[in-house]
Amino acid sequence: MASHSEAIIREPLITGKNITYAQITNEVLAPVENKPNLAWWIGFGLASMGASIWLFCISWTFWFGVGEWGLNKTVGWAWDITGFVWWVGIGHAGTLISAVLLLFRQNWRNSINRSAEAMTIFAVVCAATYIFGHMGRPWLAYWTLPLPNQYVLWVDWNSALMMDVFAISTYFSVSLVFWYTGLLPDIASIRDRATGLRRRIYSILSFGWTGSVKTWQRFETVSLILAGISTPLVLSVHTIVSFDFATSLEPGWHTTIFPPYFVAGAIFSGFAMVQTLLLIVRKVLGLENYITMFHIESMNKIILLTGSIVGVAYITEFFIAWYSGVEYEQYAFINRSTGPYWWAYWSMMTCNVITPQLFWSSKIRTNIQLSWVLSIIVNIGMWFERFVIIVTSLHRDFLPSSWVMFYPTWVDVGIFVGSIGLFFTMFLLFLRVLPSVAMAEVKLLVKTASEQSKKKLLDTNHLDPEQAKYYKESLEKYDSVDLTQYQKA
Amino acid sequence: MESNKKYWKGLEELNNTPEFVESNKHEFAEPIPIEDILSGKGLEGRTPRRDFLKTLGFGIGAVSLAACQKAPVHKSIPYLIKPEEVTPGVANFYVSSYNGHAILVKTREGRPIKIEGNPGDVLGKGGVDAQVQASILDLYNATRLKGPLQDNGDTSWTEVDNFVRAELAAIQASGKKIRIVTSTVNSPSTQGVINDFIAAYPGAKHINYDAVSFTGIIQANQNSFGKAVLPRYHFERADVIASFGADFLGPWISQAEHMRQYVSNRSHEALEGKKMSRHIQFESRMSLTGSNADTRVTIKPSEEGVALINLYNAISGTTLPGSKQLSNKAAQTAVTLAAKELVAAKGRALVVAGSNDVAVQVLVNAINSLLGSYGTTIDLDNPSYQYKGNDAEMVDFVNEMKRGEVGAVFFLKANPVYNYYQSSAFVDALKKVRLKVSFADYNDETAAECNIVAPNSHYLESWGDENAVEGYYTLIQPTINTVYDTRQAEQSLLIWGNNPVKDYYTYVRNTWNTKLLPLGGLAGQGGWETLMQTGFVKAADKPAGTYTFSRDLNAVAQTILSQSSKATGGNDKLELQVYESNTVRDGKHANNPWLQELPDPVSKVTWDNYVAISPKTAKEMNLEEGDLVEVSNELYKAELPILFQPGQAQNTIAIAVGYGRTKSGKVGDGVGKNAFPFVSLANGTFQGNSVASIKALGGDKIILAQTQTHHSYEGRNVIRETTLKEYLKNPEEATGKGEEHKTYSLWDEYDRPQYDWVMAIDLNACTGCGACVVACNVENNIPVVGRDEVRRRREMHWIRIDRYYSFNEGSEVVTREKEIDKLENIDDVSVVFQPMLCQHCDHAPCETVCPVLATTHSSEGLNQMTYNRCVGTRYCANNCPYKVRRFNWFNYWNDSRFENYLQNDYTELVLNPDVTTRFRGVMEKCTMCVQRIQAGKLKAKIEKRPLQDGEIKVACQQTCPANAIIFGNKNDKNSEVYKALQSERTYYVLEELNVKPGIGYQAKVRNRTEQEA
Repeated sequence: MASHSEAIIREPLITGKNITYAQITNEVLAPVENKPNLAWWIGFGLASMGASIWLFCISWTFWFGVGEWGLNKTVGWAWDITGFVWWVGIGHAGTLISAVLLLFRQNWRNSINRSAEAMTIFAVVCAATYIFGHMGRPWLAYWTLPLPNQYVLWVDWNSALMMDVFAISTYFSVSLVFWYTGLLPDIASIRDRATGLRRRIYSILSFGWTGSVKTWQRFETVSLILAGISTPLVLSVHTIVSFDFATSLEPGWHTTIFPPYFVAGAIFSGFAMVQTLLLIVRKVLGLENYITMFHIESMNKIILLTGSIVGVAYITEFFIAWYSGVEYEQYAFINRSTGPYWWAYWSMMTCNVITPQLFWSSKIRTNIQLSWVLSIIVNIGMWFERFVIIVTSLHRDFLPSSWVMFYPTWVDVGIFVGSIGLFFTMFLLFLRVLPSVAMAEVKLLVKTASEQSKKKLLDTNHLDPEQAKYYKESLEKYDSVDLTQYQKA
Repeated sequence: MESNKKYWKGLEELNNTPEFVESNKHEFAEPIPIEDILSGKGLEGRTPRRDFLKTLGFGIGAVSLAACQKAPVHKSIPYLIKPEEVTPGVANFYVSSYNGHAILVKTREGRPIKIEGNPGDVLGKGGVDAQVQASILDLYNATRLKGPLQDNGDTSWTEVDNFVRAELAAIQASGKKIRIVTSTVNSPSTQGVINDFIAAYPGAKHINYDAVSFTGIIQANQNSFGKAVLPRYHFERADVIASFGADFLGPWISQAEHMRQYVSNRSHEALEGKKMSRHIQFESRMSLTGSNADTRVTIKPSEEGVALINLYNAISGTTLPGSKQLSNKAAQTAVTLAAKELVAAKGRALVVAGSNDVAVQVLVNAINSLLGSYGTTIDLDNPSYQYKGNDAEMVDFVNEMKRGEVGAVFFLKANPVYNYYQSSAFVDALKKVRLKVSFADYNDETAAECNIVAPNSHYLESWGDENAVEGYYTLIQPTINTVYDTRQAEQSLLIWGNNPVKDYYTYVRNTWNTKLLPLGGLAGQGGWETLMQTGFVKAADKPAGTYTFSRDLNAVAQTILSQSSKATGGNDKLELQVYESNTVRDGKHANNPWLQELPDPVSKVTWDNYVAISPKTAKEMNLEEGDLVEVSNELYKAELPILFQPGQAQNTIAIAVGYGRTKSGKVGDGVGKNAFPFVSLANGTFQGNSVASIKALGGDKIILAQTQTHHSYEGRNVIRETTLKEYLKNPEEATGKGEEHKTYSLWDEYDRPQYDWVMAIDLNACTGCGACVVACNVENNIPVVGRDEVRRRREMHWIRIDRYYSFNEGSEVVTREKEIDKLENIDDVSVVFQPMLCQHCDHAPCETVCPVLATTHSSEGLNQMTYNRCVGTRYCANNCPYKVRRFNWFNYWNDSRFENYLQNDYTELVLNPDVTTRFRGVMEKCTMCVQRIQAGKLKAKIEKRPLQDGEIKVACQQTCPANAIIFGNKNDKNSEVYKALQSERTYYVLEELNVKPGIGYQAKVRNRTEQEA
């Protein structure tokens, strides 16, 4: 929006020479307007296979009962709620990027917010499947809603699960509205370029976007308001999810540190998932100019920060367990690290606390392959975190007579693997029908924060040479910048 | 009043036109084309396509709509003429008898659904064991025979009668022998029928055959005192009890009676009197009795006799020739100490031994005689008739068969093809018998080898009587008509023996009228009717005489010693002891799913038998838990999984009999392996001890279906125990009662204006037997889930008995797993049992977390579960610190995987109509038998009186022979439960969580002495 030039020392958010608005539209809409390429088909084939596994396993569960999972009399939740919290957590990055970063005017979010928000929605869908799936009688799921009825039956507002119902449904609806609002100008762009039936469909979907100044102004206002509404959700949703554990009596669950620790963990895993997705999308769809090394590095920094917060939380938990003097609490933590599930605990520690520390090195931060591998490791670690919290707390709690082991069945595994397939199916379909980068928002940056605008600025030679040098050096890490032109100058 | 007004219906009528007059003549204003249609032309008329389609459409639509509504068929058959005594919804109780216990049978709408002990029962005083509780299900056993069989084909009773009578006549003429093999018959009427039969066929003989027999004791008493009887033991009169392998709190002779006696000298009544009996157990395997002992010493099976010789020497001050010390030094010291204690308690001491060896039992008699036990703790004059089996007679019978001397054999409640120690020899010999008749009510292993199966009726369909102990006669009366075409064995014998009494009911009446009623001071019809109310007569006990042992013991000692050296395991040989299963007993309950799923009280294994071995011995042999091994002694080999059993003597193993049935029915077939063939015949009796070796078979480990897999209580104060000495010094401190803490509450107190239902459980009374578990299953329609689901840790029991091992090292008690692993000596094991069920917390953690308020608190202090509201999030179960909530993982009542247990339409008749069965996806747990509470309150209300304390008994409490469970209203300061909870031993499990549980436990007190510490 600012029409004046951005300071030269800021790294460019769009790279490439002679980027025009039309070029952005062409490049971003390429997958939407053309037939899918082989890579997409392979990905979609795999993903839909996963989704079929999910459909099969969840149908199996509904048909025979939750007994098809590995749960037992002591461990009443395991892979189900692990999966649920994992997916909800992943969703958080999308909201953080779209809402919080918008409020803080972090323009780099413009290139990644669309995909991140889509990821949020699909992740929440996956999480929701677990809410229904884990119920003994899923056909009665609506009883968790406070629907007036002639039996005068009501819901229990004391129950964290009740709060969860509202947290998740609010989160889903607000995220959906926010995402769709952001899509409107882009859908209108597709409409304008389409013909025939496609044009009709996108015309309806664009809600009659005219592109007038008034429309843009309202769009900006609505975005800001929705960002304001979404921002508390970033904190509240996972706080409430953590209440499922924190408000219980179970040693290992009953801890006040859970809300901040869960939120940090959620952002941690969310950014890792964004990274996992975008590193591939950027390559396959050729979006290197819009999702640049700066974006990758920024996200890695957030992963490093939140990973460290999570690490501190783990250690704090341990300390408090010792300091509390509560026998059961102490045992729960000793058992986590040295009991039969020690491998899960140490997988979590390694993946979440130790490996993200590699991001202190800028070389690793800007290495695409390593970033991708580490993002996967973080996601594995965060899955283990939830597994450790849920299963290793439950399997040995107060009365040793009830101590058990939990072993997953093929249905447990199928539903989890399948939910990843479901997620990617939705994500790949999204890439085909909607722009994966917020074109309108990226276009805002072309004149101010792009490499070409900065090049222009450099060419005027009015700059502090030290600053110019700094800027040029910063470009070295970019894989999408042709450095030869700078060396000449 | 007449009206002249004329009303016209239309202008036509007013005008009365000719057309109107004409048309008004006809019924229909317009002509009906009926003639046209019925004439040939009309019928040939073509239906227009449109009309056809309309009609077709309407027709199909209407039919489809009508078919959409599947009209449910409810077959409710009201009484046309209501029997006076049957009111739908109101239970009737009938007295009867099972296993010698006088019982009450609860019937609803004409079908028996629950067994309770008769409060007047001499044996259990209202308490009955798990087997009695579960026996109701045998009535509804789906594998019962529907009628008689001949050569395994259906036949009729007339044909059977004709055939058997003709055969018997022929056999009698041929001079061949006739044998009636029964398990112990103590029924006067049955015995009378058999005697009459023998009188009719003089070649006949009756043989009492018990698969697990007590011939040793009976013979020993014959040898020692000239009385061939099983004495009645009085554990309640014994201050010091020394048991050498006798599992008297388990299946040994009379479980419920012994439990009641034993506990009466140890529970709160005794402790209030500042005393408690002392129980020392010498044994090789960890028996239920040993797990309750104050001091438990492990000895090898071969050394039981040697230990008794040492005990005799120590008590008598003499030395029997050939005496030798025990190989285990600690055991030797323990024997000496035990001797001192026994002598000090002379006249109040009791020594029992589990051996079936005559010589060993003679020595026990000698010891008891020295201790002055006869006439005090042992009663030979009012003996027990629970076991009369004579092993030698059975062996003789088999030899007779082998020689081809037997022409006819009848099997009544005996299944030797399965449980005779030489089964295949028995089958071969049986083939030589011309007429083989089994009275089995299902086609069991023996019945399958017979030409005639004349199915006996279930005891709940039968008339009869029992005489468990001298002077105590109980009546069996039918509570339902015979469901199938079965006939009581006695009836069959009456017919085949051409008895003048044609009908067994009359026979029973005659027995009572002439012999039994007078013993109770009753007579005639009035007496009979009184009997139908009370269920038994009890003649006054004869004075118990004192008996002095005066026979020479030298020969006895030699026999014992030579037996012992024969049974001693050498290098890499182990000593094997087979024992009777705590749950399925000698195998006759193998097809009862409740008993199969009842965990063994000590090992907590369900649905299997196994090789119990000490972890230390196993490690030396490189064996791990679950390894499949081949156990072989000189007679037999079997493949079984390994179970690590703390307290099992080193270099010994133990295997339960009662498993490995092949023709018990769908439930019991193929569960475990048969261990009867390990039994050998020695000195004229069946003996379970032998030398065996183990060979690891490799392959996949077998996961035993255990309901508990962690066995130590990790130093947590969920279990509180002390010694008698500490307890007497300071009762409160000894049981862990510290200073009072101030507690804070987030929640409002519940108002409980009238009732506050709570429980008190005495850990010193609970022996861990598991009768409560089965009683709860029966009362509350708890599904049976089978071995695989128990392996997945999903048994549905609402009450369970937690069993923890702790290890004594010097004066230290080691309870933590990691420390136990480091222990050198793991033989000194203590066991504690803790019944665990929903604690009905006043601040119930389950209640606050349910999103749909499916579990709530009642105004009577109960934590209620509303099945219909439950959506199955399982949050409540996760948040329950006691882990007592059970989830319906599957639809146990309509899922083919569980169809063998309780799903059969016929079997489902056993369900309690007052308790709903729960659907898949719903949480359930102990309700404190809320249906009983409601029924009790209702009864008091109808009778316009306040509810009395003790009037409502919950199922687990009612069956407990040890009275370990007291239930009642805490608001009533005079109630039993209120008083029990005031005991200084009372503590609440996990009370520090401030969940305010409603069940108080009384801490365990062990009577351990200084010397052994």
